[in-house]
Amino acid sequence: MVSRCQVEVLYFAESAEITGIRSETISVPQEIKALQLWNEIETRHPGLADIRNQVIFAVRQEYAELGHQLLLLQSGDEIAIIPPISGG
Amino acid sequence: MAAREEVLTLQAEVAQREEELSSLKRRLAAALLAEQESERLVPVSPLPPKAALSRDEILRYSRQLVLPELGVQGQLRLATASVLVVGCGGLGCPLAQYLAAAGVGRLGLVDYDVVEVSNLARQVLHGEALAGQAKVFSAAATLRRLNSAVECVPYAQALTPATALDLVGRYDVVADCSDNVPTRYLVNDACVLTGRPLVSASALRFEGQLTVYHYGGGPCYRCVFPQPPPAETVTSCADGGVLGVVTGVLGCLQALEVLKIAAGLGPSYSGSLLLFDALGGHFRCIRLRRRRPDCAACGERPTVTDLQDYESFCGSSATDKCRSLQLLSPEERISVVDYKRLLDSGSPHVLLDVRPPVEVDLCRLPHSLHIPLKHLERRNAESLKLLGEAIREGKQGTQEGVSLPIYVICKLGNDSQKAVKILQSWTDLDSLTVRDVVGGLMAWAAKIDGTFPQY
Ligand SMILES: [Zn+2]
Repeated sequence: MVSRCQVEVLYFAESAEITGIRSETISVPQEIKALQLWNEIETRHPGLADIRNQVIFAVRQEYAELGHQLLLLQSGDEIAIIPPISGG
Repeated sequence: MAAREEVLTLQAEVAQREEELSSLKRRLAAALLAEQESERLVPVSPLPPKAALSRDEILRYSRQLVLPELGVQGQLRLATASVLVVGCGGLGCPLAQYLAAAGVGRLGLVDYDVVEVSNLARQVLHGEALAGQAKVFSAAATLRRLNSAVECVPYAQALTPATALDLVGRYDVVADCSDNVPTRYLVNDACVLTGRPLVSASALRFEGQLTVYHYGGGPCYRCVFPQPPPAETVTSCADGGVLGVVTGVLGCLQALEVLKIAAGLGPSYSGSLLLFDALGGHFRCIRLRRRRPDCAACGERPTVTDLQDYESFCGSSATDKCRSLQLLSPEERISVVDYKRLLDSGSPHVLLDVRPPVEVDLCRLPHSLHIPLKHLERRNAESLKLLGEAIREGKQGTQEGVSLPIYVICKLGNDSQKAVKILQSWTDLDSLTVRDVVGGLMAWAAKIDGTFPQY
């Protein structure tokens, strides 16, 4: 039995346009690889595939590589998807 | 009746005088600019070291001089520092304003663009009277009035791969206040190649981002964003909108980082990203990755050893102006002039406006049917019903067997082409001809109806 937790996903800039929301709470395994976590989020919002290589993926306000390193998550943790904005 | 006539005569005379007055004001503004232009000297020599502050300088900068973190030494460093401001828009204006006020020795101002009325809500160095003039001259004129001791060097040109290394290399710190993706990569690579710290800010809608790149062994822009985003996922301020205060907040934070670097205090946002969410009222700080050993620009074996073609690298042009899409053939499109003729002839058709509701609230053609592009993309049931009704109604005016034309319109003629493509893919609309209006409502405002709002 994998224990799960509730994390808050924040969508910035273009990712908020794609998903149509600015944040949501989702249930994910407490132990999960960063890439798997992204894939879970992408499954919910397939449009995010367009920008997956151009975003900062941040876990608890820290950059996380979309790779195989294991994350240990707690309920309430903040996941942020941050595409660059270029306007001025 | 005589009184009525006099009113009309006087009204006409007032209007004429007002026209003369505004023409004089425009000429005065142009003359002021020409005067400043003639005195500007393009060659830039290094700023001489400065040993002491004058009595006037001590008074002028006294409130910041008494800060122990800055003090006389910090102020002297500011006075001999030079900052290149890339872009004199919503970020560059407040940034340059505070840098000039704080006594930075020299400000290089780069922008190819001219002041437009739609800039004034956020580009606070430009005044109404200077609409149509180069932004860099307008900004330099305002900055000189603010602090005549600061040397402003206007470059009324785009930053290009041909000019960037030379220009960036003449300045100590670079502030990226640009409005497009290719320029952001160009500025980054030029800073890496010349070893200059880059203070980068951006803003869109209610959001802002700020980072210091290539400082003290920290990451560069390419370390964080090795690949440019697909052009179709990039929104400009012209398309997406932006609140002026948001660019103002970001420009000021950017100026703060520049000042701290120039005064020797060191920046706060090297290796981290400040996110400003103006709607929620949140500031967040995200720790970024370290410098990428395999970064194309600043890595151990860089492949970017000279500046490249950033427009083709990014698949977009180095401007925030909308580019015109060409999705349809000429036969699938109609000009505003031809559409006006068709409208006047009373020929039955449906005019479909596909702009977002917020833009339709600004202005619309009264006979248009409004269905946002997003609804067409999602085949929104309610919208399909509306369209079906409009088509049935329109068909009552046509002869049996003659197809009813649908004309699609948007702001500039890009989304309308996308909408035509969608409508053409719907097999149940087989008997209809669908075209779009070239140049959209802005072409209508420019060529057909001068009273129609532009935005
Ligand atoms: Zn790098």
